[in-house]
Amino acid sequence: MVEGDVITVEQLVKRFGALAAVDGLDLTVRAGEVHGFLGPNGAGKSTTIRVLLGLYRASAGRVRVLGLDPATQAAQVTRRTSYVPGEVSLWPNLTGQEVLDALAGLRGHRDVAAERRLIGEFALDPRKVVRTYSKGNRQKVILVAAFAARTELLVLDEPTSGLDPLMEELFQHCVRDAAAAGRTVLLSSHILAEAEQLCDTVTIIKDGRLVESGRLVDMRHLAASEVTARLRDDQAIAVVEGLRSIGFPDPPPASPDLRLAVPRQQVPAVLGLLAEVDARDITCTPAKLEDLFLRHYAVAAR
Amino acid sequence: MNLLRLTRLMLRRHRLLIISWLVLLIGLTGATVSAYQSTYATPEQRRIATELARANPATNLLYGELADPGTPALMFGWEIGAFATVLAAVMAVLVATAVTRAAEDDGTLELVRSCGIDPRVPLRAASTVLLVVAAALTLGCATALGLSVGHVDAVTWPGAVAFGAVLGLTFLLVGVLTVVLGQVAPTAAGTRVLGFAAVGAAFAVRALADTQHVAWLNWWTPLGLRATVRPFTGTRWWVVGACAVVVLVLARLAGTLSGRREYRAGLVRRRDRRGGRLNVHSTVQLAGRLARSSVLSWTLGVAGIGTLFAAMGSDVTRQSRDGDLGGFLGAQLGDADPVAGYFAYLGTVVGILVASYAVVSVLSSRRDEEAGLTDQILATGTRRWAPLAAQVAVTALGSGVMLVVTGVLGMLVAPRFIDGEHVAVLAFTYVVGQWPAVTAAAGWTAVLAGRWPRATWLAWTPLVASSVLALLGPLLDIPQNVRDLGVFQHVPDVTAPDPSIASLLVLLVLAGTAVVLGAVGTTRRDIITG
Repeated sequence: MVEGDVITVEQLVKRFGALAAVDGLDLTVRAGEVHGFLGPNGAGKSTTIRVLLGLYRASAGRVRVLGLDPATQAAQVTRRTSYVPGEVSLWPNLTGQEVLDALAGLRGHRDVAAERRLIGEFALDPRKVVRTYSKGNRQKVILVAAFAARTELLVLDEPTSGLDPLMEELFQHCVRDAAAAGRTVLLSSHILAEAEQLCDTVTIIKDGRLVESGRLVDMRHLAASEVTARLRDDQAIAVVEGLRSIGFPDPPPASPDLRLAVPRQQVPAVLGLLAEVDARDITCTPAKLEDLFLRHYAVAAR
Repeated sequence: MNLLRLTRLMLRRHRLLIISWLVLLIGLTGATVSAYQSTYATPEQRRIATELARANPATNLLYGELADPGTPALMFGWEIGAFATVLAAVMAVLVATAVTRAAEDDGTLELVRSCGIDPRVPLRAASTVLLVVAAALTLGCATALGLSVGHVDAVTWPGAVAFGAVLGLTFLLVGVLTVVLGQVAPTAAGTRVLGFAAVGAAFAVRALADTQHVAWLNWWTPLGLRATVRPFTGTRWWVVGACAVVVLVLARLAGTLSGRREYRAGLVRRRDRRGGRLNVHSTVQLAGRLARSSVLSWTLGVAGIGTLFAAMGSDVTRQSRDGDLGGFLGAQLGDADPVAGYFAYLGTVVGILVASYAVVSVLSSRRDEEAGLTDQILATGTRRWAPLAAQVAVTALGSGVMLVVTGVLGMLVAPRFIDGEHVAVLAFTYVVGQWPAVTAAAGWTAVLAGRWPRATWLAWTPLVASSVLALLGPLLDIPQNVRDLGVFQHVPDVTAPDPSIASLLVLLVLAGTAVVLGAVGTTRRDIITG
């Protein structure tokens, strides 16, 4: 097991022709943590991950994974790493079991008991030929292979996009188990809720650049919730007054359909206010990452 | 309207495949016809060649029966026509599969059908594509031939059009037949296998008709159209109309069958479940397992063709000894020992086939890379160059199996039909001796797949060039030192004194160097993604 930092990326640049898909990115993942790697589609998450695995060569910057340089020692890095790509393609004429055998055989080691248990838990039929699998089933094959391999680092690139809610929960369970066993997890996602449930630390990127990085508890201020309610005219006026008094500098004009972006620490106060005036159909939705970025960049542009 | 739009979309999507084949076929037609005027300069030479050809079961097997009076135009239709119709049939299987079952397997047809298109329209659009390509093939070849009207004896505009129509109809018949088979086969790959099997059967029926002189059999095979339509002599235009009726019936049948099967499944069910395990510990083992079925199919096909040739060689060698065989085959066999010459020719044909396998097989490493499969292998701690190297190793091994099986069968079969010394040895060595050439093909493909994966289609260029030099070099009067640049004609006669294997060693060294360059190339670039 590696102590300290499992992944260190400093000023990583990856260009494709004129396009800089990753542009000066820093990323640090400590041993044993579950690190969320967040950003909208096309932010450069998969590109960064491919550099970490030595599939892409960095245009500039310093990259260390498990203490090794993936540009020159890719095989040593990946032997100790499990990788789940976002788009899983497998050999269509092999069965699920044969794919698991092939991947484990190439790696040279596997945890047979864990594999059998995971196949059962994920309700995967490993005797079926891959071409008959749905996207979710192909994903399950690769998740089983990843979790059953005896590796120190798991690199998961949007691994849950084809899973149903039941399997999604099982996946989260597997990630927690892996972390408990001392394995390090880099989880790329564009779903903030998933990251919030699993990750200790997160790195958020957009357009190949770092937006924010740190412990999740310290970053709650980034996440704003959307609060909606239906109000009568007199209630609407009272709510605008109330908002101003609890520290909303710029409340929206009074209207029967209230729609508010509320910073996390102010959510209880705002909900209290709405309950107090007896508003109807109150909803409170945690912000999507997408919204977070929109707001973040709107602020930056001013 | 949807039919037209979808037809245009299909043509647009497969234009590279279609145009490459059209250029090859029209080029072959246009470039060779004038050679028949010069090869048989005098009527006397032509008379001898015609008589020999007509009495010869081997040329009857390969090219069919040469019609009277053996004018240059008829000889062209007989020899080049044989190659062109087989190539048109192969093209038809590939194009027809690409526009029907392949689009189903890769999911693009699903998108099309979800756009409010009648479920019957895609099949009609595919048939229209086949029709358009057949028309282009007909017009292109007719025009290429028509340019020689007045320069080559007996080449006339009606004859040129009839010859073009034979190619176009061969394409259309085999294409529509493949579409029908595509309703039965479980996958696109299965459709191609069935299609090629049908082409093989069509060739066998035609060969039977022409060697056993059972003329009516030629009415039952699309490859017999040259004998039934008879371009350049008493053309039967009504056969063209009859073929159109057959095409319509087949298209109708495809439509009916299509309505009776599930999307992405043929009428024949495939086996979807099996309990086997995979004992794999290296990339070579995995590549070998994945290549197993294609090596088997190719071995069956190549060994079948090789054995057929070996069994039909008796009269070729007798006539070569007697004197001028002439024309295409005569130019092939050359002045050397006739038995050796015949097996050298057989080896060249087998070499070209197996080299095609080698190119296809090594190119699959690029497809795997684009599909993300190589990512999976590399992510298990495999070295960057290993997947390509493994694919090349398996290709070299697989083509070795094909050549050895074909060689051994030839060694067993040939002595029963061909008289002469060392027949078994020659039958074996000329086939197996193509292995260095095949590895060279694998090598140049590996360089492209390793270093310049976006340019892998170039891998076909040296193969086509080498094939043209080997098969058409003598006919086109290409100088020997240029022909030596091709890879297929370097196998020595091992029964002659002091056989030189220097050029084979050069090929092996070049192949080895190319593979190393390709493997190093992979470490110098990013993985490609689709």
